[in-house]
Amino acid sequence: MNFRSFNGLFAGASLVAGLLLAPGFKTAFAQKSATTEKNIAFIEYPDFPEAHSTWGSIGYNAASNTVHIGVTNHSNKIGLYTFDPAQNSMKLNGFIGDMAHLRKFQWQGKIHSKIVASPDGSIYFSTDGGESREEYLMEHPQGYAGGFFMKWDPKTGDLKNLGMGLPYESIKDIEIDPKTGTLYGITYPQAHFLVFDPAKNDLRDFGRLASSHVPRVLFTDSWGNCYYVDWRQRLVKYEKERDTLVFARESLPAFAGTPGSKIITGVTAYAKDEAKGIIYLVTYGAKLIAFHPEKEGIGKVEDLGGVIDTGKAVSWGPYVPNLNIGTNGKLYYIIGGHGNYVLKDKTVLVEYDPATGKKTILKEYPTTAITEATGSDIRDKDGNLYFAGRRRLTGKGDLSSPFLIKFNPEKDIRK
Amino acid sequence: MRNLTKKILLPALYLTCSGPLLAQYTFFTPKEAFAIEVSLPNSAEKRLPMYRNAITSLHVQGDRVLGGTTAKDGLSPYLFVASISERKVLSTKDLSETITGQKGIATGFCKGADNQLYAGTLAQVNKNQQPGHLIQVGIGNGGKIEVKDLGAPVAGEGIFALLSNREGTELYGISYPGGRFFTYNIATKKVQVYDEVAPKEKELKDAHDFAIGPEVYLCKALVQDNAGLVYGSTAGNRIFAFDPVKKSIQFLETPLPSVWGREVLGQVEAWAKAPDGRLYGGNAGDGQLFVLDPKTKKIKNLGKPMMMARLQALAFGRDGKLYGLAGGAPGYSHLFYYDENGAGFVDLGNPEFKMVAPGIEQGILWRGFQLSTLAASADGKYMVMGEDEALSQLMIFPVE
Repeated sequence: MNFRSFNGLFAGASLVAGLLLAPGFKTAFAQKSATTEKNIAFIEYPDFPEAHSTWGSIGYNAASNTVHIGVTNHSNKIGLYTFDPAQNSMKLNGFIGDMAHLRKFQWQGKIHSKIVASPDGSIYFSTDGGESREEYLMEHPQGYAGGFFMKWDPKTGDLKNLGMGLPYESIKDIEIDPKTGTLYGITYPQAHFLVFDPAKNDLRDFGRLASSHVPRVLFTDSWGNCYYVDWRQRLVKYEKERDTLVFARESLPAFAGTPGSKIITGVTAYAKDEAKGIIYLVTYGAKLIAFHPEKEGIGKVEDLGGVIDTGKAVSWGPYVPNLNIGTNGKLYYIIGGHGNYVLKDKTVLVEYDPATGKKTILKEYPTTAITEATGSDIRDKDGNLYFAGRRRLTGKGDLSSPFLIKFNPEKDIRK
Repeated sequence: MRNLTKKILLPALYLTCSGPLLAQYTFFTPKEAFAIEVSLPNSAEKRLPMYRNAITSLHVQGDRVLGGTTAKDGLSPYLFVASISERKVLSTKDLSETITGQKGIATGFCKGADNQLYAGTLAQVNKNQQPGHLIQVGIGNGGKIEVKDLGAPVAGEGIFALLSNREGTELYGISYPGGRFFTYNIATKKVQVYDEVAPKEKELKDAHDFAIGPEVYLCKALVQDNAGLVYGSTAGNRIFAFDPVKKSIQFLETPLPSVWGREVLGQVEAWAKAPDGRLYGGNAGDGQLFVLDPKTKKIKNLGKPMMMARLQALAFGRDGKLYGLAGGAPGYSHLFYYDENGAGFVDLGNPEFKMVAPGIEQGILWRGFQLSTLAASADGKYMVMGEDEALSQLMIFPVE
């Protein structure tokens, strides 16, 4: 998410917060939760005092049971971190400008994409210009050349620049087909969908798919097909066997009255229940959705309702840029961010049980503790869930501090 | 670098968050502007399919907007009609229903007698190479599109530029890839081809040295002055003038404006005639706007509205300003206007207009990145812009 969306969201967020502050609201949220501080840990990123934020830049590597995070000063320095749950250690592997031997004119502002892993344990991500320099300076000497696809080998520490997507464009998110190694990308600000075969250095541009806003999230199904949304919040599927885009006929569910600015932003996070063949989605219009992908065509879409049932506020208001699924089959997400909170100055950790449809607030945090959190479907082999957290530093303008959130709904992780 | 970050880059970043001071993330959004959804796959609405909708021809006739598209390789283009007042597409027509083997309609539309419109096509490049055709297009009731195939005016060649004379009785064109000038009499269907403007050995060698093709060096737009002379560009950064009476071609002494060493890129891709008869042109090579005085035959370089190359479209509004589209891929097109008596060049940047259609009744915002065509209504009230995207839309704004 860039600051443009932050500014645009703020007015709507204030409305939501105001409505939620009405008398009686709190009782609507009264829930009993067994979750305690022992279930949650905040883990800092060492050796990077200027660290400002994390974005969608987090992912899980099953081959090594590690979590990888890209941390940025939101200007020109991006640290690549690895968290090893077995050692309970967070390590800075280096800064990608140095690791990839980028020239000065190849500067990058952040990793916005998720971090995806291939079966051999390599991880992939893409880079982003970060801000206005990228979008406006272009061919100017201070301009942005374009975002890169990158591959990191944790065994050797080698970071390989796989090449640029499109000139002047960031690559906001990527996905991988683990069977073929094909990478998918979405560019910013023109929202071009890219299909990239690193083995052949073959990059294909399938064109622009969005309107004024670039939806940030790509996701794949078990066949390796990749999904995005168009400006009507319809699923767009890259069907790999036919090498073509397939557009859903209907838009994803949305609350009546959802503003167009929410619709064009589409999906903000996902989590996969692979055993059941379900991909859970959350939209910018605060809908939870169960998507049942099919190998060919678009599968069934099931509306699970809002991310939180306040009964008081506009249902499309809450902002949820993250989603995880526990080994218990329940969904976990943190509501709040970009000035948009369902409780005044608080983010809330919510549990959703697909079996019962019950949504429970497990924890509340002041926004000085968690301002917002990102990350989709990050769970280690012990069932720990991870979010890329960020806390705004009060009185310091836009300054913020990133940290990793580790959460296990069923275990004391501080033992 | 740390100090640089703390003292310069981060404060600069804060400034970017502080609002409209630097005009970032502010867009050209005039009141009453709107976008029409023209392209959308898998829809029950009248829409164009993906990769067949790059809007490369536009004409405004009353309330109706006629568009012609260019398709990706192996696909055929469309024609469509939209209504300004209804803000929607009324009809679409697949050109392959009339002519097969065509790829694009990039030369429309020229007005002929009896409200008929004309365009030329470019053919698909394949083993069974077809020529481009002249087409006559009529807009019937309810926006119904009627297309008549007038055949291929130049054997084996497509049509890269097309213009009708003031009377609507004759068409003038540039063939592709040969770059020959031709005339076509609408009544008699008689074609005359002139080789003088086609690139010669020297120009072809230059093009080869710079690894550019006919898309870069052929004349993309023609214009007629009040005396009846027809102007266009030729490879080698020159302007020619065709005299329809004498049936002769002369070359102007003044070259197109150029950047040192880049004359090979000279190509006029847009013209607009001012009320006083002067001819304003856009040079694709480096994006300069120039004015040609038909009386003196002199060209004056007026400069360029932005850094990038290309100046793809020009049209006068009823406010007397000259509107245009500068730049393009790999950057974005910028909408600009040139006010000779006022501010000069004003870069309006990317337009962002509201799009309302069934299913998105609340409206969404559409930002124009790759705008490639612009046409004014006859009264100059509306400016209609077309995109060149995988899924291209129309963007329309009223001129105050």
